[in-house]
Amino acid sequence: MGIYVLRRLWRTLLVLIGISVVVFAFVRSLPGDPATVILGERANPVSAARLTEQLGLNKPWFINIKDPAHLFDAQYPRYIWKVVHGDLDKGQKSQIPVTDELRARFPATFELALAAMFFALLIGLPAGIIAALRRNSVWDSLATTVSLVGVSMPVFWLGLLLSYFFAVVLHWFPPSARLSTGVDLQPLTGLYVLDGLLRGRLDVAWDALRHLVLPAIALGSIPMAITARITRSSLLEVLGQDYVRTAKAKGVAPRLVTLKHALRNALLPVVTVVGLQAGLLLGGAVLTETIFSWPGLGSWLYDAISSRDYPVIQGGVIFAALVVSVVNLLVDLSYAFLDPRIQYR
Amino acid sequence: MKKYILTALLGAALAGSASAATLVYGNNGDPVSLEPGNITDGISITVQRQIYDTLVDFKDGTTDPVPGLAVSWKSNPDATSWTFNLRKGVKFQDGTPFNADAVVFNWKRWWDPKDPTGYRDQGRTYEIMGDLLGGFKGDKTAVIKDIVKVDDNTVRFDLTGGNSDFPVVIGSGYFGLASPTAVKEQGAKYGTPASTPVGTGPFTFVSWKTGDNITLKANPNYWGAKARVDTLVVRSIKDASQRLNELKAGTIDFASDLTPDSLAAVKADKTLTAVMKPSFNVGFVSMNNKNPILAKQAVRTAISMAINKKAIADAFWGGLAVSNASFLPPVMAWANNSAVPGDYKYDPAAAKKMLADAGYANGFSVDLWYMPVSRPYFPTPKPIAEAIAADLSAIGIKVNLKTEDWAKYLQDRNKEPGFDMYMIGWTGDYGSPDNFYGAYYGANASDDINYNPPALQTLLEQGRAALTRDAKAKVYGQLHKLTYDAAYRIPMVHSQPLAAARTYVKNWVPSPLGSEAWNKVILIGKK
Repeated sequence: MGIYVLRRLWRTLLVLIGISVVVFAFVRSLPGDPATVILGERANPVSAARLTEQLGLNKPWFINIKDPAHLFDAQYPRYIWKVVHGDLDKGQKSQIPVTDELRARFPATFELALAAMFFALLIGLPAGIIAALRRNSVWDSLATTVSLVGVSMPVFWLGLLLSYFFAVVLHWFPPSARLSTGVDLQPLTGLYVLDGLLRGRLDVAWDALRHLVLPAIALGSIPMAITARITRSSLLEVLGQDYVRTAKAKGVAPRLVTLKHALRNALLPVVTVVGLQAGLLLGGAVLTETIFSWPGLGSWLYDAISSRDYPVIQGGVIFAALVVSVVNLLVDLSYAFLDPRIQYR
Repeated sequence: MKKYILTALLGAALAGSASAATLVYGNNGDPVSLEPGNITDGISITVQRQIYDTLVDFKDGTTDPVPGLAVSWKSNPDATSWTFNLRKGVKFQDGTPFNADAVVFNWKRWWDPKDPTGYRDQGRTYEIMGDLLGGFKGDKTAVIKDIVKVDDNTVRFDLTGGNSDFPVVIGSGYFGLASPTAVKEQGAKYGTPASTPVGTGPFTFVSWKTGDNITLKANPNYWGAKARVDTLVVRSIKDASQRLNELKAGTIDFASDLTPDSLAAVKADKTLTAVMKPSFNVGFVSMNNKNPILAKQAVRTAISMAINKKAIADAFWGGLAVSNASFLPPVMAWANNSAVPGDYKYDPAAAKKMLADAGYANGFSVDLWYMPVSRPYFPTPKPIAEAIAADLSAIGIKVNLKTEDWAKYLQDRNKEPGFDMYMIGWTGDYGSPDNFYGAYYGANASDDINYNPPALQTLLEQGRAALTRDAKAKVYGQLHKLTYDAAYRIPMVHSQPLAAARTYVKNWVPSPLGSEAWNKVILIGKK
């Protein structure tokens, strides 16, 4: 298994290098350049050209063929040289190092994604199980309907509705942000609920938790729906298999058959889908973060793409790819736990 | 007696609220930087204006210049040299003195590409110098020729040509003055969240959590009116609907840039007050000479007469916009020409006839590009474009509505052959007609309509050099007539951005220029 992990990590590195090349070429081939966006309405060709030069974007992309003496004085070699030294460059507009922003924003996205996934599994798994066990019952219809609504409701709309109803009308939860104004917390891990507990500040942990509820529901609605549907269909399939029938025939209690024999096997496709969903959540919960003023990676990357902030897009995409790779590796490793027949080579 | 008791109680409430209160503003995004001279966006200015002062300030709620860090200023007879007398005894928030050296330090690092404290090698660009002041030291188009310390309390700016707008230009929020000691100590980090920005302003910097909030506290040594609240928190809330939700929930105290359709919701909420900001923008439709049909003046005039601008302004801004025949917002109506009609005549029948006389009795087909983003001057570009298209179809013009990503839109309008017709607009930086006309007409403007007659350029230069308001009014009046008759850019609206505050927020007077210091804002009875 150790060798398997090492091989997977090596492959991840190759993927990351490949992605760096692709994203580098991709962002530069997008129409509309950073200078024009930074200058906005007042952009005219003269000022845009001046700013392009100041930003170093007038240099060739990969190799400086025109000037062999400065072959590597091109954008990509300079970038990779920095990356190798642990520097993902600075945001073109803000001049903030991309690594600093990643460090500050990833925990926010991670905490939100965890909470969203928790919500998705808390509702989605039982709903899927009940729907499968009580097939064609009212419960089944209810679970199917809820999951259909979950998949089809646009996140920004759901987010605004939740915020309006639970914050403005009922005052149960705050409308947005991670902490109330004036609540002070010196972060340790960057996960505010956890940090509140670690610092012995229950009030802060509680405040952070209250802020987490609405965005987690908004973000978790789609994975919740998908989890419910996959669990239902997978469990139905497993329940119809021979070994389940055998177990039942042997006189094993129905509850035990479902939970121990059937569910564990039924979870394999669920874990795969949950893993993919988790990767997506971490990669960019753009709309949820924008609606809930959540200072995470999604809203940051979205801004960067609209303003063509090349270093931020590059750093953000490479980082997201890394996270998705790691999550996929963990998902693959969990297969062996769920199904002992699976072996890693 | 009762009256005295009431007054005493009110006084006590005021004093109480002023001592420990926190004022929370919902900003429509995160600042780009807190380094003066190195920003071009309004979101950053909103925060910078609280930390830094400029040499020239503006009277509350107007564009009229008043003393800031300079107590007085005057020019030589041809306005090619401006001398500023600085306020004495002012200290930066780090305790270092504000003086002529500090002014020269700040301006040189922005203006001189070789200045070692400019940190250009680390990505600083100061592009605002190019936009508002023609460029940098050594550039042919640069407005500033030299910056000279006359004595400890006097600074002189020598210019390359006559420019009577200079004091109001350098009063704009981009040009706050920072402590030279702080800039030198913090180096290229200055202005980022990892730094401590230091100015002379009413609030001092505490912390910046990117994408979340910026916390400031009252500057106890402020030279002007000291802040009436203890702490100021500027939160980043990008979504306009969410800003309204936060206001209604009471988690923020005041916010700007709400959508026009929020006005009813704000008015219906007893805990909120609608704050109409003075209009300082123009949204317009540009027509391109490269299109042979649009190159005909009669066609452009017919188009201007076929669009029911007033109906569009009423429908999409809900009373928060005016339409008129001027490129300048109403606060600068003094520079309009009285010979030009107040608004374009809406007369589809006459427009149709004019089109027929020009040889287009059966109409023609044209592309109209609308912006993919929302701006105060066009909050909902697509439906507005559809309304324009409907008006034009009534006189036989078939309009193809088009749009594309904002970055590409900004670039393509200036690329050959450009857009036939397109929507764009402008929000002013400082209170001079030149800031509006100069942004879209003349040599330094975007080259998107292929219309740049020498007469127009001459008038722009004369306007910049004119010394008195009367002299300026005369020149800009001619520009108004010239551009109105040419009908290349049809002003559609001057919108009033909608802001709102909780009812306990008092003394907030928004500036037409988009940012003002909040030292005078008080909270009465905030729980």
